[in-house]
Amino acid sequence: MAGTTRTPTNLTQGAKADAGIGASTLRPDGTLKVTGEFAYSSDMWHEDMLWGFTLRSPHAHARILSVDTSDALAQAGVYAVLTHDDLPTEHKKYGLEFTDTPVLADGVVRHHGEPVALVAADHPETARRAAAKIKVEYEELPVVHDEASALAEDAPLLHPGRDDHHAHEVPHPNIVHRQPIIRGDANAAARRADVIVTGEYEVGMQDQAFLGPESGLAVPGEDGGVDLYVATQWLHSDLRQIAPVLGLPEEKVRMTLSGVGGAFGGREDLSMQIHACLLALRTGKPVKIVYNRFESFFGHVHRHPAKLWYEHGATRDGKLTHMKCRIVLDGGAYASASPAVVGNASSLSVGPYVIEDVEIEAVALYTNNPPCGAMRGFGAVQACFAYEAQMDKVAAELGMDPVEFRQLNAMTQGTIMPTGQVVDSPAPVAELLRRVKALPLPPENQWESAGQTADVRALPGGLSNTTHGEGVVRGVGYAVGIKNVGFSEGFDDYSTARVRLEVVAGEPVATVHTAMAEVGQGGVTVHAQIARTELGVQQVTIHPADTQVGSAGSTSASRQTYMTGGAVKNTCEAVRDKALQLGRRRFGTFHPAWATAELLLEGGKVVTDGGEVLADLADVLGDDVVDLELEFRHRPTEAFDIVTGQGFGHVQYSFAAHRAVVEVDTELGLVKVVELACAQDVGKALNPLSVVGQIQGGTTQGLGLAVMEEIIVDPKSKVRNPSFTDYLIPTILDTPTIPVDVLELADDHAPYGLRGIGEAPTLSSTPAVVSAIRAATGLALKRVPVRPEHITGV
Amino acid sequence: MRVTFTVNGREQEADDVWEGESLLYVLRERMGLPGSKNACEQGECGSCTVRLDDVPVCSCLVAAGQVQGREVVTVEGLADQARERGGRATDGTTLDQAKGWQAKPHGAQAAQPGQLAPIQQAFIDAGAVQCGFCTPGLLVAADELLERNSSPTDADIREALSGNLCRCTGYEKILDAVRLAAARQDEVV
Amino acid sequence: MKTFQYERPADADTAVALLADAPTGAYLGGGTNLVDLMKLGVAAPDLLVDVSRLPFDAVEETGTGGLRIGAAVRNSTLAVHPLVRERYPVLSQALLSGASTQLRNAATVGGNLLQRTRCPYFQDVGKPCNKRRPGTGCPAREGAHRDLAVLGASEHCVATNPSDMAVALAALDAIVDVASGHGPRRVPLTDLHRLPGDAPDRDTTLRHGELITAVELPPPMPGARSAYRKARDRASYAFALASVGAVLQVREGLVHHVRVAFGALAAKPWRARTAEEALLGEPATTASFDDAVRHELAAARPLRDNGYKVPLARRMAVSMLTELAAASAGGTP
Repeated sequence: MAGTTRTPTNLTQGAKADAGIGASTLRPDGTLKVTGEFAYSSDMWHEDMLWGFTLRSPHAHARILSVDTSDALAQAGVYAVLTHDDLPTEHKKYGLEFTDTPVLADGVVRHHGEPVALVAADHPETARRAAAKIKVEYEELPVVHDEASALAEDAPLLHPGRDDHHAHEVPHPNIVHRQPIIRGDANAAARRADVIVTGEYEVGMQDQAFLGPESGLAVPGEDGGVDLYVATQWLHSDLRQIAPVLGLPEEKVRMTLSGVGGAFGGREDLSMQIHACLLALRTGKPVKIVYNRFESFFGHVHRHPAKLWYEHGATRDGKLTHMKCRIVLDGGAYASASPAVVGNASSLSVGPYVIEDVEIEAVALYTNNPPCGAMRGFGAVQACFAYEAQMDKVAAELGMDPVEFRQLNAMTQGTIMPTGQVVDSPAPVAELLRRVKALPLPPENQWESAGQTADVRALPGGLSNTTHGEGVVRGVGYAVGIKNVGFSEGFDDYSTARVRLEVVAGEPVATVHTAMAEVGQGGVTVHAQIARTELGVQQVTIHPADTQVGSAGSTSASRQTYMTGGAVKNTCEAVRDKALQLGRRRFGTFHPAWATAELLLEGGKVVTDGGEVLADLADVLGDDVVDLELEFRHRPTEAFDIVTGQGFGHVQYSFAAHRAVVEVDTELGLVKVVELACAQDVGKALNPLSVVGQIQGGTTQGLGLAVMEEIIVDPKSKVRNPSFTDYLIPTILDTPTIPVDVLELADDHAPYGLRGIGEAPTLSSTPAVVSAIRAATGLALKRVPVRPEHITGV
Repeated sequence: MRVTFTVNGREQEADDVWEGESLLYVLRERMGLPGSKNACEQGECGSCTVRLDDVPVCSCLVAAGQVQGREVVTVEGLADQARERGGRATDGTTLDQAKGWQAKPHGAQAAQPGQLAPIQQAFIDAGAVQCGFCTPGLLVAADELLERNSSPTDADIREALSGNLCRCTGYEKILDAVRLAAARQDEVV
Repeated sequence: MKTFQYERPADADTAVALLADAPTGAYLGGGTNLVDLMKLGVAAPDLLVDVSRLPFDAVEETGTGGLRIGAAVRNSTLAVHPLVRERYPVLSQALLSGASTQLRNAATVGGNLLQRTRCPYFQDVGKPCNKRRPGTGCPAREGAHRDLAVLGASEHCVATNPSDMAVALAALDAIVDVASGHGPRRVPLTDLHRLPGDAPDRDTTLRHGELITAVELPPPMPGARSAYRKARDRASYAFALASVGAVLQVREGLVHHVRVAFGALAAKPWRARTAEEALLGEPATTASFDDAVRHELAAARPLRDNGYKVPLARRMAVSMLTELAAASAGGTP
């Protein structure tokens, strides 16, 4: 494509950024991102392009009686209007796990904001205005909005005639998936308990609130195919869902990752991908779709809201005897990642503790609420809020220190999970708690330290000037969590990397090509570091991620450094072997070490393990190019038994602990989080700067869930706050200092011993903050987000 | 309608602008300046922050006609503006204050020395950029803060940047970046 | 967004004349509210008359020692104006607690006064709303109304006025200068906004085409103290759950002059006249403040989910008045 387009480019880095793994190498895309040149999906541009717009349902559940597009089509500047009837093949649905989501509503809308029709026009406003002229006649239907209404005998079925792989095992067709886990005998163990503590907890619906809206550009190809530039978390998963709907073979849907403005799970499902392609193929013109924030709130799934019921028992000396729990997750209208969320919620519901006798049940419901699916820490976040509240409660009941109580029951390497899986790598749960507890507490009354008058910016209420210190009470709380890393339950999880090694302008250069979605986490930085470490070169080029190379799997589940990092390492090793073969062929006769010594690539040279330089890599390569594409897999897992929940289900576990220090204006119910310290085991920090950034970011999303973030769905299942004015995420004034303590205990099963890091800090942040608010107020606080009225009462 | 205004020091003209287009749209879609970002288009996030006649505003809520004859500086113009102010990007200072565990940048990226404004270089060096979507708006806001207040306290920084949402970083490294740029500014003086 | 015409007249007379001929036209100030509402389809004027660059951008002392603030003065300029900071802290604080730096830099005084409610049903054109489309109903009463009115609402509308500045101006007895084809008139700030009654579509008492040109503040009461407090869901950049602005002058331990106005409780800045009357001449103590404010808020009629606003507003008001009393008595500025 010529100068008339704006599309993603190669990333290279200056010569000074020559560090391998373990160094805080700076981002190769950093310069582009600070100058405004980095091409995000909403920046894609093509001469002559049209703008697409999506008409969405104003109702949560309704029958579509008629759709009249004639007025819309008659508008000047409108090129196409598409409805369900215009879909080109018999494949009219898509989905991550179940194929249950209509590309465009098929006679029924099942949630507020469901796409009904598409418009392509020469200006975004023309498209919007035309969409407003589409006449849709709806007949409203009763909504299913909670467990009672979903499982009632006469409940309307969201998906009658289900044929997905869980359909035959669920107790009700409005249950997406149910996973029990039974181990030991919880009832018998309960008889040994000196105290039994029960609690009911609730987690509100959180939004990923990534800043870059769903967007992209579809360009029709001369071969009848389409080039799609888009922001996603997994190109090949998108491709698998898009191609059948378009009626195209996968090789004719050429996807390229554009700049991704954050993801956090919200880009696992498709949004505008198929829509843009349909419009492009229909009109024969490039079509760009960019959601605004209002649409974005309807354009992706959210974190499952959950109701959780827990019972724990303990002996007088502080040993947990048993645990029973029931977790009900609201999956909304379509399945999305609900089955996996159920798997995580159930298998991680016990937390990082040793409890041998458990009775666990987790279900996800189909309702007419917004679809819920992947968000950072899914399943585990909801459970962690509840079990950590329970830990505080049991400790209080026993009169024990809550941290000591947790340490007494903390799992270690060798602990058996409720699923029967042995934790076979370090599990430093007690140590992480020790570390956050050992940190000095932030000074009291910091608002006074600034000067004579109170600095309100350091007080609850911030710039709102609500208190000058009166009525402010400090509280400290702790929490720790456990998250699985990677795709679980027997999924064939792999990643692919292509690495090319050649001489350019006299220098050996490595090009790394993967389909990994860089969503901001810094995967591209780490890939370059790995290539430098393994190939001993300075210059590494990161090729844009696309579907011209094999799948990298999803940038989710904390898996990408493990998996695609592992794939890059794996392929680099093979490339190195090939290069050394070339060297042996060329120079083997000149030095015996070529045959006898272990050879490495370092600093652009072939060296022996004794440090002797044998040749310049550039000379070894000459005009040859070494170019390999290989797949990498983690060790296999297995499904959880559908009755007992037993099974080697998870690849790896990761752990983080938080200490929250809050100050609460108890009069007004306003909370200032003063400090939120985190300790996490990362196995091996490939890029310490990025590791800390991930931990701080995850911690802050947990803080948001604790005190402000919730999508409000009204009794008619309609979303009430689809904007950043009404759905609040933390600003820099709400976010405290976040000291981070990183532990590096290698997991021998993983590349470099690393542990996935992205999600664990999101888990324990929320319960730590709420625990601290409980400590300050003495209130039970069973629901997040905690609002001022929960603290003051009405 | 036709709209004429100065962008990053150069007079620009856009024809056939529809009255309802925002300054953000005109910059991004008509002038080839996509640096200002479209995270909310409702004045709720700060990602589209530009300087309009010197003060930071949300360009998504400025109607195109309102810009006629005025001066706009976007993220694309920060480096030039910094040069005019006489500041130069240096990477001599590293921020050694409490940044938790050893998150010191290694090998500061100086691919194009002097081509970045100090605040841009500091964002890279401090690890303040992740997905980067909030970055342009934050850079414009932070640059304006440092112009007004060359040694801001943490509370000043937080107050000045409280109109810019970031979802990736937890803001810690953004604070680091502004501190770093301020420290380097001192060093130059 | 509908198509519309954009005009930027050079003087107020032309502006007024332009809008007089355009029954569905609107004035445009900084755009921070109107442009957003147009994007959402909530507002659809066919003519925008840009008044943001009319020569109403001065802040001047009046002959009587008051302050005259041009309608085009930016919120950020006003917030840090030395005379405002010194004499009317309630106004400066209210302005600084609103929105973000970027929005305050764009928003004008006139526009701020005329910003429309943040009721989620008003904002969503897919929903009925009596304010947006009279007669369609008010789903907020049964739906999501945690942020909505507890005072002065009607069965037709429970929206609140979102302005912080207007609350401060109500407590300062500000007067609004209005121009129109029928000549200028002056409207007390407390009469500018109206309660919904059975015509919730009308936010204010202004007639079509009337243009706010200035806001005038009476001279500050010697020895009086003023302040603004606001409770919200995050530390900045959010609308109020409840707010209070007050001016208090204490002489020999007794309340000599008091003005209290609440924000986010009603469709207009809620001047607490009952409380003010009760307090006049009474001892300036926490107990009397508490009594008076309880008396005022006895009129509250909360809905299912917004009853928390009443104690929230009361506690803020009582503690702030107590603090102001101490300052007024002690003479500290």
